[in-house]
Amino acid sequence: ACGGDSGNGDSGESADGGDGQSYNWRFVTEEVDGQVQYEYAEEFAKRMKEKSDGAVNIDVYEFGGLGSETDQVEQLQNGAVELAVMSPGFTGNMVKEGQIFALHFLFPDDVEKTQEILNTSEALNTDLRERYEEYSISPLSYWTEGAMQWTSSGTALEEPSDFQNFKMRTQTSPLILESYKAYDADPTPMSWSELYTALDRGTVEGQENPIFFIGDASFYEVQDYMTVSNHNNYVAMTTVNTEWYEGLNDDMKAMVDETVEEMQEWVFEEQKSQNEEWLETIKNDEENPTEVIELTKEQREMFKDKAMPVRDFYRENVSTVDGEILDKLQEEISSAGE
Amino acid sequence: MKALKLLDNAIVKIEEFILSYAVIIIAVMVVGKALSRAIFSYTPPFADEVSQIAIVIATFMGISYAARKGRHISMSAFYDLAPFKLRKALAILISLVTAVILFVLTYYSALYVQNVYQDGTVTSALQMPKYYLYLFIPIGFFLGGVQFLRNMWINIRDREAVYIGTDAKDYNDQDKKDIMEETHL
Amino acid sequence: MVATLLTIMVVLLLLNFPMMIPLMIAPLIVMFIYFPNLDPMILMQQFSTGIEPYVLLAVPLFIFAADIMTTGKTSNRLLDFIGSFIGHIRGGYAVTTAAACTLFGAISGSTQATVVAIGKPMRERLLKIGYKDPTAMALIINSSDVALLVPPSIGMIIYGLVSGTSVGDLFIAGIIPGIIVFLSFAIYSVIYAKMADIPLANKASWKERIELTRKALLPLGFPIIIIGGIYSGLFSPTEAAGMSVLYAFILEVLIYRSIHLKELPRIARSTGLVTSAVFVLVAGGQAFTWVISFARIPQMISETVLGTDPSAVYVLLMVTIFFFVGCMFVDPIVVILVLTPIFYPAAMDAGIDPVHLGVVITFQAALGSATPPFGVDIFTASAVFNKPYLEVIKGTPPYIIMMVAISILLIFFEQLSLILL
Ligand code: NA
Ligand code: NA
Repeated sequence: ACGGDSGNGDSGESADGGDGQSYNWRFVTEEVDGQVQYEYAEEFAKRMKEKSDGAVNIDVYEFGGLGSETDQVEQLQNGAVELAVMSPGFTGNMVKEGQIFALHFLFPDDVEKTQEILNTSEALNTDLRERYEEYSISPLSYWTEGAMQWTSSGTALEEPSDFQNFKMRTQTSPLILESYKAYDADPTPMSWSELYTALDRGTVEGQENPIFFIGDASFYEVQDYMTVSNHNNYVAMTTVNTEWYEGLNDDMKAMVDETVEEMQEWVFEEQKSQNEEWLETIKNDEENPTEVIELTKEQREMFKDKAMPVRDFYRENVSTVDGEILDKLQEEISSAGE
Repeated sequence: MKALKLLDNAIVKIEEFILSYAVIIIAVMVVGKALSRAIFSYTPPFADEVSQIAIVIATFMGISYAARKGRHISMSAFYDLAPFKLRKALAILISLVTAVILFVLTYYSALYVQNVYQDGTVTSALQMPKYYLYLFIPIGFFLGGVQFLRNMWINIRDREAVYIGTDAKDYNDQDKKDIMEETHL
Repeated sequence: MVATLLTIMVVLLLLNFPMMIPLMIAPLIVMFIYFPNLDPMILMQQFSTGIEPYVLLAVPLFIFAADIMTTGKTSNRLLDFIGSFIGHIRGGYAVTTAAACTLFGAISGSTQATVVAIGKPMRERLLKIGYKDPTAMALIINSSDVALLVPPSIGMIIYGLVSGTSVGDLFIAGIIPGIIVFLSFAIYSVIYAKMADIPLANKASWKERIELTRKALLPLGFPIIIIGGIYSGLFSPTEAAGMSVLYAFILEVLIYRSIHLKELPRIARSTGLVTSAVFVLVAGGQAFTWVISFARIPQMISETVLGTDPSAVYVLLMVTIFFFVGCMFVDPIVVILVLTPIFYPAAMDAGIDPVHLGVVITFQAALGSATPPFGVDIFTASAVFNKPYLEVIKGTPPYIIMMVAISILLIFFEQLSLILL
């Protein structure tokens, strides 16, 4: 059998002699092989290995074996894994401010502009990061996996009134429920594993996800319409365990920072190509026809008007700093000029 | 002795209550959610969470009750073939080691609860502190450990029979009829 | 590490330790030895994660419904009704059991729920007409396998996500293998009934049949509510489990008055006890999965066994073995989630159709959970029927032989899954 040789590599200890240190790190993601987060981590590992001449070896973990997304967050906090891609949604019950990304129509319609803001925002990269660091999580970067879209059966979702009496599958957090109540929808929490069947049978009529996920999970097969709403972005964070990161030597830290930085452009292209490819597949699948709807500027504005009061809900009921980070981010977004 | 007996009775009543009502609550939540959605187009967002809390509580609080009733699943293939004396020895040994292991698990799960408490994590729908839920894990392990110690003790005290739980004699020494009766509690 | 894990597991199991103990302590010991820097509390977290998936709620709910029905009148009325039509036919009851498990499994999507909901009433009837208990239990456990193969299958939905394969195609592809399994079991049941000389009931007259049908009219609402509810989109499969509790409650407590409201907590307690006994294993299985995944054991083993450029048949053979073994310890859904990504790339390189791979994987997951030495369906049966392990598995060999034969057919003939597409 396989002996204890597999048990090496705890938290960046030296693992071989030779001409210097070698590092074994673990990088966990919330997605599986082929999906954006996993591909990101693989590419990250590859670049680190090259830059370090093989001294840094990163094992990439896909979703599944290490438990739920929130388990993975705790494992990063405990230092069981050194690096993680996590989406703020799964930490929202601990770091409340992270729920900011669930707000609708906060970021620009254009995904590229959104990514620019994610790269440069001080509200996120300094203020929000500090919130996370209270819990030993250091978000080194924020990046979009693509804008969120709506899919539906029966009703094409084109303006807020289409959501009337519409059974929309959502998460259970009060903020997300509030977001859909704002359109007069019937938010319907439903476990992920039952969603495909529920969409197929009409138990729920619609759901939201980025296009690549709608494709990967086959949801378009059981839906009539996909509305390219870009109502928010599926934002992911590249995070590291804070104490571990602070303990890295300067060279190694610089190498991590540099790789994180250069990966921003790479992952933007990666998500773009995955989302575009799936969009084509969904459009061209004649067996499971799905009508793709683009929102007009007016329709988008109608939704945005309805969504605005939810920001107050965020300030009052979610934020622990009276919406300070949101206010700052809003300013940054508006000065980036939509 | 009498005080202990009273305590034991109280614990078993609490365990029975928790097991019963956890199951009933799950049924009410799942049915209520489905009916409410179908009739009023309203889905109570807390329903799934309450069910999941109930299942965690039932599972861990059931450890000691199942131990008492000798209902933990084991791969008894070889044990069933063993003679009385060997089964007796095994019953004592297994109960003791199991109790010790459950106490170890109590310790670590208590640490985990403390950790979750410090992070202040809340549940998604109810926004209830998450450690409330996890608290039942160390409690369940601890009561389970105590019960396995009692299983050991009754096997030491009563030389005439092998017990797989304080309330359950080994099925190998009984005739089929008794087992059938136990099937329906 | 694998050796340590397996040694602890096997020794403790053979000594007759409660199964939860090796499942919970083996990962902890491995952690102490091989990952001393890790915080053991990670495993505690996995215990609760293991039992939190929403779809698992169907298990206690179907147990509860079955407990109410078998305590009251519903299940006997249903069985008398069925018996009046098939009681005089060779193997009639066994074939009916297989059919009911297949149908119910297809609907509930859970092998464990099927073991409970159909198994509980059918087993009593099988025993009554002269089947030996191991035979009855083996039939029930194995017929429940089909739950994962016929749509809507949770296993296939998970596989579809992990691999990016069309779930719709997977659903269709599972149909023929599902039917083959059912037919083999049905044919075997008839042959067995003949060989074991199971006594036949007298053929019921049409008058009796009408009378028994009349009595069974309300109980017959069960399949209508469950099937109709799910297919019309009124309920999700888990909610259908809840609705069957409600319906059983209405029939037994309100209409037949065979159960007093006061008795309900006692029945629920019995349900809770069985649920706990099964779910502590699911919890332990999750911790086991965690440590294996963390140490990347599946990757290491698969690299070793797959080598470079393996043939399609070889890959499928390995998939078969790995999923089969994996499902001995862990819930099939978790196994699919963990192992699929490891074998998928090699399978694609070898030119295997992703839909066919999905069918093979789901089939093995089903088989693994129902075959000795371990398997969640066996535990469930042991808990629900309150039967020692040996008794539960004694009757399984003929079914395993049939299932293995079908596995081999699946490896060599991908048409079995792909022809309907
Ligand atoms: Na479609
Ligand atoms: Na098995």
